[in-house]
Amino acid sequence: MKARVKPMLPYLALLAGAGFLYHHTETFAALGRPGQLGPDFWPRAVLVLLMLVCAFEVARLALAGGAARAPAAKPAQHAEEEEAPRYPWLLVAGIVLTILYVPGMELLGFFVATALYLAGFMLVGRYRRPGVIAASSVLGSLAFVFVFMKIVYVSLPLGAGPFLRVSTWLMAMLRIH
Amino acid sequence: MLEVLHQLGLGFVHLVTLANALALLVGLVVGMLVAVLPGLTLVMGVVLALPFTYGMGVTESIVLLTAMYLSGTYGGAFTSVLFRIPGEPLDVPLLWDGYPMARQGEPARALGWTLLAALAGGLITAVSAVALAIPFAKFALRFDAPEYFAIVLFGLSGVVALSGDSMVKGFISLCIGLLLATVGVDETYGADRFTFGVPILKDGIEYLVVMVGAYGLGEVLARMEQGFSTPPMEAGRKVETRLPPWREIRRLKGTVARSSIVGVLCGIVPGAGATVGSFVAYGVEAQYGKNRAKLGTGIPEGIVAPQLASTATVGGHMVPLLALGIPGSGATAVILGAFLLHGVQPGPQIFQTSGDMVYTIFASMFASVIGMCLLGYFAIRPLIWVLKLPEAVTSAFVALFCFVGAYSERNSVTDLWMIVVFGVVGYLFERFRFPIAPMVLGCILGPVAENSFMTSMIAYQNDATIFFRRPISGVVMVMTVIALAWPLIRYLRSMLRAKRLPPDLLAREAKP
Repeated sequence: MKARVKPMLPYLALLAGAGFLYHHTETFAALGRPGQLGPDFWPRAVLVLLMLVCAFEVARLALAGGAARAPAAKPAQHAEEEEAPRYPWLLVAGIVLTILYVPGMELLGFFVATALYLAGFMLVGRYRRPGVIAASSVLGSLAFVFVFMKIVYVSLPLGAGPFLRVSTWLMAMLRIH
Repeated sequence: MLEVLHQLGLGFVHLVTLANALALLVGLVVGMLVAVLPGLTLVMGVVLALPFTYGMGVTESIVLLTAMYLSGTYGGAFTSVLFRIPGEPLDVPLLWDGYPMARQGEPARALGWTLLAALAGGLITAVSAVALAIPFAKFALRFDAPEYFAIVLFGLSGVVALSGDSMVKGFISLCIGLLLATVGVDETYGADRFTFGVPILKDGIEYLVVMVGAYGLGEVLARMEQGFSTPPMEAGRKVETRLPPWREIRRLKGTVARSSIVGVLCGIVPGAGATVGSFVAYGVEAQYGKNRAKLGTGIPEGIVAPQLASTATVGGHMVPLLALGIPGSGATAVILGAFLLHGVQPGPQIFQTSGDMVYTIFASMFASVIGMCLLGYFAIRPLIWVLKLPEAVTSAFVALFCFVGAYSERNSVTDLWMIVVFGVVGYLFERFRFPIAPMVLGCILGPVAENSFMTSMIAYQNDATIFFRRPISGVVMVMTVIALAWPLIRYLRSMLRAKRLPPDLLAREAKP
């Protein structure tokens, strides 16, 4: 029974989600004008299509007994990718590092946060040449600051407290006003 | 005809001035740079260049912006093919075959095909702009919202070609993309949709964030899970730019013809543009191409069709811009702004009042095509060299480009969080074999589809048959129905067949 239901779960979850969103469209349905399609029409049409597709897949899986045979075998490339070794902890570390980078940029400023992010990313990615890591992180961050702040005029985050002073000093060195 | 050729010849003569030549060169280089950088959109690049044209003459200004626009449709091909990061939305279909070809150890060949497609598309677009400008002024006046909707729907039907192993997953991905595009304040009524009281969602979800996050960061995370174990590409081999031999090029004449027509048509229809052209051309190839079964595995048809069509749209866009003063895309809207800044109002009369300028612009398009291909040819080697760097190092910088590109659009930290979210979504899509492309397609084309649909419904009193009753939209709608129905029938038939056949026979049949 469990094996039969498991492949249906993502589609059932999507079906439930689409149902919830369909219900939510009532909150803006009232804003339409009489005799005209309202702002809810288009999202509802998409949600109905989504629910129909999910229901079709659930029915197909149910009729096929949970282990529905695909119409064609998996391409060789997919099979190879599935056989490749996986390192879930690297993925978790990468995601955590990436999540930390966003608030880090606001606190430490773009330059410091980016240099740390690049170095951390390379280390997590199992690259072990400290000289290259340090040089590419610092020079890469500097290059990004120069190109985006000096040439493209993007206002990158400067950080707070002492890190703001670091960013300001760096901008003065690079003649960015 | 002879008069047009004479005028074009004079246009080339006018182009050979220091100011025009310099504007052309700068436009080409900056356009390619902007397109290569993911997140820095072509339109944003053209907008940033606009203030620099204040001090120039009108012809140099338009030559600069047009060169940027043209080379921008080509520059993004490098990051798409080599790193699977589309520099522009129009580059998305290019990576479906360009990237696999590069991963199979043939990045130079993939870029060679891209270059040829850009060259062919560029020359076709320049010729079509010259040939169609005057006749178009009469014909395009018939286009209305139903025609736009039909064209966009045809673009969305490309989902059939993008679904990979499962059409169901493809449709689900498309629906998610279309839904993401509805988040925020709706344009027709000003109603908040799916914002759940969160202020930042009122501005909507930028397709750029979805695209760069799901494709760029998602791919980086997926590779990280595999420990960046891919060996550096072309290691130990001399990498050369390889243009395909003539006999291979000749085999693609059907693809070239189909994509040229799609590109020029999508350029002419305001709102369709290079992105729609690129998606539609790939979809058409998936429906009617000789090698359609192999699309997505890294074949030249999958590279030539989208690249050629997207470049071929530029001339098409210039036609309504010059003949009617109607910009068909974001970039041509900026170019229209440059015209107006210099006191020139494009329209049917411009051919009489400023004929010299118009034909100099046309001549600059021919020169831009040659120039961008030369730039592309010589830029390939250093770019391919980048692939020899350790994967962890390049991936770190790819992730950084994703962040900075997304941030540059609105200078908003919220977009950085969005990048993280869609990076994880992209990873999950990869992991569970949901195609990302339909989601991106839905995000990009969703607002255009909805706006043209709602405008049609308001204008024609909710009469949905209008899409079939008008001749142009009717033809396109019938094409859409065929495009959707035929693969669906094939899919259902193969499913039924799979059910009837014993598993061992099925496995034997599936083997190439």
